[in-house]
Amino acid sequence: MRIAAAVALALIVLVALAAPALAPHDPGETYRAFLSAPPMRPHVVASTGAWRWPFVHPLKLVSRLEQRYEEDTSREVPLAFFSGGKLLRLSDERDGPWLPLGADREGRDALARLLFGARVSLGVAGLSTLAALLIGALAGGLAGFYGGLADEAIMRIAEFVLVLPAIYVVLALRAAMPLVLPSWAVFSLMAGIFGLVGWPWVARSVRSVVATERTRDYASAAVSLGAGPARVLFVHLLPASRGVIATQAILLLPSFILAEATLSYVGLGFPDTVPSWGSMLHEASNVNAIADSPWTLAPAAAIFLVTLAANMLVEETT
Amino acid sequence: MVTAAALAFAACWSGERRAAGKPPVKALVSSIRAEPRTFNRYAGRDSVLEIVASLTQAKLVRIDRRTQELEPWLAESWTTSADGLVYTIKLRQGITFSDGVPFTSADVVFAFKAIYDEKTGSALGESMRVGGQPLVVTAPDPATVVVRFPSPFGPGIRLLDNLAILPRHKLEAALKAGTLAKAWDVSTPPSEIVGLGPFVLASYQPGQRLVFERNPRYWRTDARGGRLPILDRLTLEIVPDQNAEILALESGQIDFTQTEMRPEDYATLKRAAEQKKVSLVDLGVGLDADTFWLNLRPNRPPVVQHLWLLRAELRRAISHAVDRTAFAETVFLGAAVPVFGPITPGNPRWYSPDLPRFEYDPAAARRLLAGLGLSDRDRDGVLRDRTGAPAGFTIVTQRGNTALERGAGFIAEELKKVGLSAEVAPLEVGALIDRIVRGDYDAVYYRFLTTDLDPALNIDLWISSGSAHVWNPSQVKPATDWERQIDDLMKRQVASLDLAQRKALFDQVQRIVADEQPMIQFAAPKITLATSTRVVGATPALLRPSILWNPDGLGVK
Repeated sequence: MRIAAAVALALIVLVALAAPALAPHDPGETYRAFLSAPPMRPHVVASTGAWRWPFVHPLKLVSRLEQRYEEDTSREVPLAFFSGGKLLRLSDERDGPWLPLGADREGRDALARLLFGARVSLGVAGLSTLAALLIGALAGGLAGFYGGLADEAIMRIAEFVLVLPAIYVVLALRAAMPLVLPSWAVFSLMAGIFGLVGWPWVARSVRSVVATERTRDYASAAVSLGAGPARVLFVHLLPASRGVIATQAILLLPSFILAEATLSYVGLGFPDTVPSWGSMLHEASNVNAIADSPWTLAPAAAIFLVTLAANMLVEETT
Repeated sequence: MVTAAALAFAACWSGERRAAGKPPVKALVSSIRAEPRTFNRYAGRDSVLEIVASLTQAKLVRIDRRTQELEPWLAESWTTSADGLVYTIKLRQGITFSDGVPFTSADVVFAFKAIYDEKTGSALGESMRVGGQPLVVTAPDPATVVVRFPSPFGPGIRLLDNLAILPRHKLEAALKAGTLAKAWDVSTPPSEIVGLGPFVLASYQPGQRLVFERNPRYWRTDARGGRLPILDRLTLEIVPDQNAEILALESGQIDFTQTEMRPEDYATLKRAAEQKKVSLVDLGVGLDADTFWLNLRPNRPPVVQHLWLLRAELRRAISHAVDRTAFAETVFLGAAVPVFGPITPGNPRWYSPDLPRFEYDPAAARRLLAGLGLSDRDRDGVLRDRTGAPAGFTIVTQRGNTALERGAGFIAEELKKVGLSAEVAPLEVGALIDRIVRGDYDAVYYRFLTTDLDPALNIDLWISSGSAHVWNPSQVKPATDWERQIDDLMKRQVASLDLAQRKALFDQVQRIVADEQPMIQFAAPKITLATSTRVVGATPALLRPSILWNPDGLGVK
């Protein structure tokens, strides 16, 4: 199970990295004639029953107001592999784009947004996790190593951060900033905030490991051989806490993905123009979406998959 | 035995509907999206209060929302002086408030005193003035009221459609004590809130519902002398979320909402209509087109640095850059018509079809922008002004309103095609209104709600000193020549007693606005209302409240 979970996570990261080649279209490109269009299934059997090279039937708009489409079964447009820098795309898009996962309400390719959204959501979560680990490991290591006043001060700060109502902190921060921020600024801001909110979890775990380890013989031996505090901490004690750090990393990653999704969902994260799993879910917030355009919930499935894989990995590791 | 048990169960089940030989209770349930903040029509001005007033209070005259004709209401008849300044109004006799106290001319005089009272600070007081001056109201006898206008006023006593007559005997003490603004707040016992309307407030459960029972002393009967209101009970459920509202309507928990159907709900409600759960009523093109405007206050820092933001050429270029047909199809899913001015075909009396039009023409837009000194120096598709700054602005709009969010996105996308960089910032409605009032924005995309079809009754929007002159409100003197012209035309329009002349003058105003484009409209939605199939006697109208403007004729199957 552990291997399966690790492979799943690795695959998701790979897919995100390969988004430009895997997505049939640019995630920002809008197809106004295809608002909320359903997924277009590839076919290999023609209406005559004969086997064909994979093809799709173009979509026909039946009712714009009802957003109802149907396949034009009289036409077959073949798919082309490795064409135009894409793994798979329609050989001819004159009759409309190929939308393997349908379109959102703006007429944008849902698959392209899901793949590029994975880069943004996983990127923010990965960077936040890294920040939380660095700050947490350093703070926890110092607290555990020095003990006494330093320990008290660092751990009280950590507890203060833990009890902060994060959503209100974000609201207050956001209100103090310009109305529109460039996407790199939103990305950095989110990663920074998540890192600052997440470090105490790491610090608490690392502190307890370092506090125990520093009394062990090998640590005392290092000190007696002349190793300075920095060497003892970074070379001998912190490596001992790599197990808890790895566990925290796997726990923090999905929680930051969820945090990004939550903030973007409530409109405090990425704007609609930047595809992220959260900003995509914001659009699916209309309850009718579940019945009329369930494909807009694909980011929820992706978040579920990442969370499940991470939790399975943690369970198997611990 | 089984039959008896079944009958007993059936009797219990329909206990509310049929109790001990009494006729069934006729009840409907509707919804509102916000809590009431007060029950005092003189102290507040919001859509919930307007609905509560429409149910529990009455006016001297009423505008039929479907025909736009003025009809006598508490006033039985009236005569006008030759100069059109004085209206002598005869009141209906034998009418009592819901607590049995007779209604007289003293109540009308009290109403005017209350809305003009400075301590009360009623929003109605502003709208019930002509040329900034209050109307003078006297009561020569208990059945007569004389209303004197300070200057000629085209709409005449149509103005009184705004004024609910509240009971003097309940509120006069508060007026004298200077506390009228706080009277009838939401903690007031419902029995204290009396009126001349078809219903009385029976209970208010905060966060849940308002329940209204029929007023047994209501003074109107139907054409055949039958009792009005027809309903025994009307409940307003408080449902803040529009998605939840649609679900409640679809599942039969509510019978109608106060707002029109959103285009994205059409498929759902059409399915419900096919299952005979709801009826869809097509009201045609709506009165309110979503409006885009730039902040034209001249002293804002961005404007001082980039004066081209104030130029009409920029607004004309924006108007040229947006494909209105595609806009209607994308933003409203085809349930809209392209428009080129603030008065839509839904208001035929004042609509002017032959205004100057800035049709979709990106090349013309680019030419106009080039004329402003905006050029794409580094060939990145983004125009820059002479200081090298990118030519662009932020469009604020209402978060959660899909049509507005989608519309703002569409405009930004179209503007990018001609080189203008526009960013969209959706804000919660409170934050948005706050920014509009403070003037802290570059551009807004929002929908005004028409409160009256006659432009003279929306004069605050048109004249430069008006508080609703959104692009540059409350000007001490007109900032531009074209605004000065509009001020002059509107003053004449308001003062004229000749409808044809008023129309001609307002056409000129519309022509100036269409040419200067201080507010730009792209499409007006077609309005469809959905009601449950239980509702009978509804007379839906475009002007809000669409159904509850005429609540006494509402019935249930």
